Amino acid sequence: MVSLARKNLLKDLPRFLVAQAGIMFAVSLVTIQTGILKGFTRSTTLLIDSSAADIWVASENIVNFELTEPFPYVQVQRAQQIEGVALAEALTIGSGRWYSDGKLTTLRVFGFDPNGQLFRPGKVSDTAIKALNAPYSALIDRTNQRSFRIDGVGDMARIRQLPVMVVGFARDTQSLVSSKFVFTSLVNANAYISSGFSSGLTCQLGNGDITCVNAYQRDEDTGNAEVVDPESLNSDSPVTYILVKAAPGEDVQLLKQRIESSLSGTKTFTKNELINTTQSYWQNRTGIGFILGLGAIVGVLVGMVVVAQILYTSVSENLREFGTLKAMGASDWDIYSVILEQSLWMAVLGYLPGLLLCWSVGTWTAATQGIVVLITPISAVGVFGITVVMCVGSAVFAIQKVTRVDPGIVFKA
Amino acid sequence: MVAIAAQNIQMSFMSGTTETKVLKGIDLAIPSGQIRLMMGPSGSGKTTLLSILAGILTPTAGQVQLLGQEITTLSRKELTGFRRDHIGFIFQSFNLFPALTALENIELALQLKGYKGPGNKEQAFDLLKQVGLGDRANNLPADLSGGQKQRVAIARALAGEPELIMADEPTAALDSATGHDVIELMQYLAKNKGCTVLIITHDPRITDAADEITYLEDGILAKQSSLVSGFH
Ligand SMILES: Nc1ncnc2c1ncn2[C@@H]1O[C@H](COP(=O)(O)OP(=O)(O)OP(=O)(O)O)[C@@H](O)[C@H]1O
Ligand SMILES: [Mg+2]
Repeated sequence: MVSLARKNLLKDLPRFLVAQAGIMFAVSLVTIQTGILKGFTRSTTLLIDSSAADIWVASENIVNFELTEPFPYVQVQRAQQIEGVALAEALTIGSGRWYSDGKLTTLRVFGFDPNGQLFRPGKVSDTAIKALNAPYSALIDRTNQRSFRIDGVGDMARIRQLPVMVVGFARDTQSLVSSKFVFTSLVNANAYISSGFSSGLTCQLGNGDITCVNAYQRDEDTGNAEVVDPESLNSDSPVTYILVKAAPGEDVQLLKQRIESSLSGTKTFTKNELINTTQSYWQNRTGIGFILGLGAIVGVLVGMVVVAQILYTSVSENLREFGTLKAMGASDWDIYSVILEQSLWMAVLGYLPGLLLCWSVGTWTAATQGIVVLITPISAVGVFGITVVMCVGSAVFAIQKVTRVDPGIVFKA
Repeated sequence: MVAIAAQNIQMSFMSGTTETKVLKGIDLAIPSGQIRLMMGPSGSGKTTLLSILAGILTPTAGQVQLLGQEITTLSRKELTGFRRDHIGFIFQSFNLFPALTALENIELALQLKGYKGPGNKEQAFDLLKQVGLGDRANNLPADLSGGQKQRVAIARALAGEPELIMADEPTAALDSATGHDVIELMQYLAKNKGCTVLIITHDPRITDAADEITYLEDGILAKQSSLVSGFH
């Protein structure tokens, strides 16, 4: 088959390449924006995703995964007694400050049972998890190594006033909208979270005025002073989640209801429910989904303008050719298909290098910036669809122009 | 049988508020298989008449029958289909597709006329050989001389074996010797394939190729067409 579309497109190679570069950048913009949005939203729920729990029990005031209220540890013990619960384990989440080489970093500490089965901090070895049974030991995410100023396993740092030894590294845990993640045992976490939590308010009455001085204790380095082992949890110790494994054959929805009615003030989620709640919080309650979506739309518009401009110029320059086709008896559809074929070629030949570019950029940002540009097969297909719609859509202007070509033009010398 | 017939063709163009009558009642009958030349001064309406006869332009009044089919009542879409199936065109400025080789120009015409499949290339090549350009198949139009381009255009016009060939000043862009060769080729192929041919020309040196000559002057046909004697 002779393709007038392809030949005409390649006739002016430099111009074609410039156009393809334009489409490629448009494709990249769309892919990177949506990829960042996807990577970002997914990062907020990586820990939920890697857990083996069927049901997550949280405070009824929960807003998203990291924004919720603690409840007393005794609820975990109660949960274990509920019929249909095979396993119930506690997860506690708190915040703190990481001191290393005299530098300060905010952190989010996750306490879980290293001997349990339901929580797992991303990709991590079993030996690293078992090592958390030691007092004041912790795992950190690989991507945080530099922020935490940690050279390797065995390095020491300080969380608030307490020492911490890094006993291993986890992968694929860090949320892009959170402080740096630290994983440790429940008892260690409890100690870290409650460490240095004292402040005093001193007020004096004089001359009819009350003067108050609020004194906070600083996170002093305890230096070589004796550090006592963390206390084990009591029934009042705060925990954030109860992770529940349902007994085999148990209806998860029914079990959820049973747990909510047995443990007052709680709300239960399946894994997917908690993921959706958290992701849609970050996408909708914050402007990030809107901003990144806007970037993607700008990308599509830029692409449309480029393609429309190229096709329109190409048609304008080849009016006589289209007139000849019409005189020779080409139907409207024959002529549209020339333009549509051109736009499809532009779509395919702009998409492929565009995707390659994104993939390289994504690999680079993931390695160096810790920012994941998530390109799933589905999103790749989706962006291809957008590219095709973009190119074919902008062919409309060119088609408009060619419809008005008078075949009589062919007789003009 | 009459291949191209027209009765009382009138054509006016509006420019602003003034109406210019370009064709003032043309009657025409070209028998099947004939080569008809149409001559006349510049601006006399030759191209306008050809466009009407080819169904590209709709006349203000009058009827046209091609191969016995009344075409003035056809829709634009039906006219396009009629041209595709029955008419080959040759233009003064060749109008080859510059991005396609000589061979591809003919292949595209075959494709357009509904010929699909691998036989197209051979058929196109065969036509190229008939116009003496078998060795130029892969040249782009830009690399061909004017005479060669017009020969490719003739091969393209013959693609799909149309019954009618219409040419508007096919030799005007060629020097007279080349023009003469091109017309001779057209004449030979048309007679060979039994096409009816209508050629508009200014060129008095090619009149010996015609079976009959029609003169158009100021929108009307001169009283008598001259039957060219001594042909064959
Ligand atoms: N689309 C149009 N709009 C207005 N006037 C037109 C149009 N087409 C042709 N005319 C006019 O009609 C007249 C005949 O034009 P036409 O092109 O048919 O002449 P011609 O005999 O082919 O001339 P030439 O030998 O120079 O090619 C001219 O005066 C021209 O200006
Ligand atoms: Mg003319």
